[in-house]
Amino acid sequence: MDFGLTNDQQDIQRTARDLLGERAKPERVREHAEAGTVDVELWHGIAELGWPGIAVAEEHGGQGLGAVELSILCEELGRVAAPLPFLPTVLAATLIEHAGSEEQRGRWLPGLASGELRGAAGGVGVVPGALGADLVVVVEDGAARIVENPGDPVETIDPTRPSARVEGAGEELPGNVEAALDRAVVAVAAELVGVCDRALSMTIEYVKNRQQFGTPVGAFQAVSHRCAEMLLATEKARSAVAFASWAADADPSRLAEAASIAKAAASDAGREVTGGAIQLHGGVGFTWEADVHWLYKRAQVDALLLGDGKHYRARLAKLIGQRAMAAAA
Amino acid sequence: MDLTFSEKETAFRDELRAWLAANPPSDPPRREEGEEANYAWRREWQRQLYDWGWAAPGWPAEYGGRGATLTESAIYFEELGAARVPLPANVLGLLLGGPTLMVWGTDEQKERYLPPILSAEEIWCQGFSEPDAGSDLAALKARAVKDGDGWVVTGQKVWTSGAQYSKWCMLVARTESGLAKKHHGLTYFLMDMEQEGVQVRPLRQITGEAEFNELFIDGARISDANVVGGVGNGWKVALTTLMNERAGLGFALQVRLRQMLDDLFAATAERGLLEDSLYADALGELHVRTETLRLLAWKGLTDVERYGQPGPEGSLVKWLWSDTNQKLTQLAADIVGLESLTAESRWSYELLRARGNTIEGGTTEILRNIVAERVLGLPRIATAA
Ligand SMILES: Cc1cc2nc3c(=O)[nH]c(=O)nc-3n(C[C@H](O)[C@H](O)[C@H](O)COP(=O)(O)OP(=O)(O)OC[C@H]3O[C@@H](n4cnc5c(N)ncnc54)[C@H](O)[C@@H]3O)c2cc1C
Repeated sequence: MDFGLTNDQQDIQRTARDLLGERAKPERVREHAEAGTVDVELWHGIAELGWPGIAVAEEHGGQGLGAVELSILCEELGRVAAPLPFLPTVLAATLIEHAGSEEQRGRWLPGLASGELRGAAGGVGVVPGALGADLVVVVEDGAARIVENPGDPVETIDPTRPSARVEGAGEELPGNVEAALDRAVVAVAAELVGVCDRALSMTIEYVKNRQQFGTPVGAFQAVSHRCAEMLLATEKARSAVAFASWAADADPSRLAEAASIAKAAASDAGREVTGGAIQLHGGVGFTWEADVHWLYKRAQVDALLLGDGKHYRARLAKLIGQRAMAAAA
Repeated sequence: MDLTFSEKETAFRDELRAWLAANPPSDPPRREEGEEANYAWRREWQRQLYDWGWAAPGWPAEYGGRGATLTESAIYFEELGAARVPLPANVLGLLLGGPTLMVWGTDEQKERYLPPILSAEEIWCQGFSEPDAGSDLAALKARAVKDGDGWVVTGQKVWTSGAQYSKWCMLVARTESGLAKKHHGLTYFLMDMEQEGVQVRPLRQITGEAEFNELFIDGARISDANVVGGVGNGWKVALTTLMNERAGLGFALQVRLRQMLDDLFAATAERGLLEDSLYADALGELHVRTETLRLLAWKGLTDVERYGQPGPEGSLVKWLWSDTNQKLTQLAADIVGLESLTAESRWSYELLRARGNTIEGGTTEILRNIVAERVLGLPRIATAA
């Protein structure tokens, strides 16, 4: 058993962190958030590096790497709350690749993998990232369809990911939608881990420096214990995402459970950690300028995307309950 | 113990209810019209309440109130909530400033300042927090220096809600430094906001609006007549304001919480999810919280009736309220889904605004310290300052 990343995977992580540290600085994120635009220049930049297609099969123009590599990128982009259609696009690609027909794969994946096409995925109604998308995979009652008309723009609390209300009809994905969705939610959970990681590190930095009562506020146990809880939540989500990303390719029979754990843990962590981050920043945390709120807002949207924590916890009760009954029989 | 209302209290409620039914506020401006339009509308609403003697029934009749009892005042807030009308615009004046003056003000001050608070002619704001003095309020640095028959103030305040509309600021400043204890040497002033020496810069909040502000105070003048509660006594006077904030405001706001919860029940029913135990348990828990909050607030009134001013237990009300409001708005996201996070949905605003509740008026961490130290008498850890 080894949770460590391979050298190649570490390279991907390092490259992503360096690039985004440079090109997705908070000021830039805020600029795009305020304008409600995606960072097209950066999108082209990461598309050239092949990021959107990292997990797409080579025959469809991707890099043919796995879910672990995809999660690494999602996490890094989550850390900076990047104003990019990355997650929405890879969600659409994942669903089409794993539940689409051969014809659908051939038609859509090359464009999604190269970043020429932008995708999004979600339930009927508000779909994060659907504004400006060329196609939206809409999931409804266990089925999924490709909608080519993204619908009307809708403003959500997370302007770093311009959204639309999607309703239209479209071509169904004939394959195993449930299994494809499991892969997709792992990507969402991975982004949430990045969001948590960043919110926590910003908070640690802040409470070490902020002085009240003649001492850094981080010395108060009310503060330090909350930071410790934020770490616990983040690490729970991180390990669950690691397991699910691994299982997606290495042991798909365990993916349904692993993905459910990951999405439940990450949705909860996203809310708790970013909420805690605002709290521990005091009045500053409640300001627009402090930038903590972008992470909070991203976490709120991601927590609901493709099923909230409650949904996946209930699903686990069913999955594990059935297994227990089968074992007893 | 008698948890029924007297005949007089019931009559008070009936009279108010009838008045509210006959005199509803005009329709609120739409959100696109901006914060100022909304504020002007709430100010107008307060004026309407005032004209009929309903702006602050708990104030003595000589200042334009009705001399209502505490119980009646509580009924007043419940009824405003039930009728879903807004709180009067001058909340800080009505709930914090007025009550503080009634305890500490001179007769002249009461006569001069209370009536325009009530009529919303003069709006009040609270200039306590500073960039380096938030939780540690007593560390504040704004300085007031004696000059003839008044004072000259220099310093910076931050997070000052409503400063952009205000005529008067409840300002706490240092009038003597180098004392052994940092909460000594503070004085509570009423500062005129309409002067050169006071600059207001709006601060944008995570909701996108700018309720609060920074105040840059550079050579602002305050006359001796505007010292409240005596020079050097500012800490005690400020505590009166803070206790009113935690207990009084908490009471007014718990009614809003009740309404929001009712709306959430309705939204759940609309989606056919009431029977779904995933939500039923959480909704039931919120109901328990909201009702115990209401009872706690009412019980707190009994204490005030017996001991004069709200005690540190008032912190429980504010703590429970703010925590419950965050849980409620978060559950709304689960129930209503992504639609709840759109700008069109009132839930998105409520969700974001609720984050401020555990920070403003004393953070939850500080309230817990107060409860542990002042209510439970637990030993406190020594800090450097
Ligand atoms: C929406 C809003 C409106 C406001 N309106 C006003 C207003 O009108 N007038 C006004 O004067 N102020 C106002 N405030 C300011 C508010 O009172 C302060 O933000 C608050 O007291 C916290 O101070 P701070 O922001 O400096 O945070 P800090 O004191 O720096 O706190 C940072 C973190 O450390 C924690 N902490 C600090 N000390 C301790 C301790 N001893 N033990 C444990 N934890 C601790 C805090 O709980 C917090 O989590 C408002 C704030 C908000 C958010």
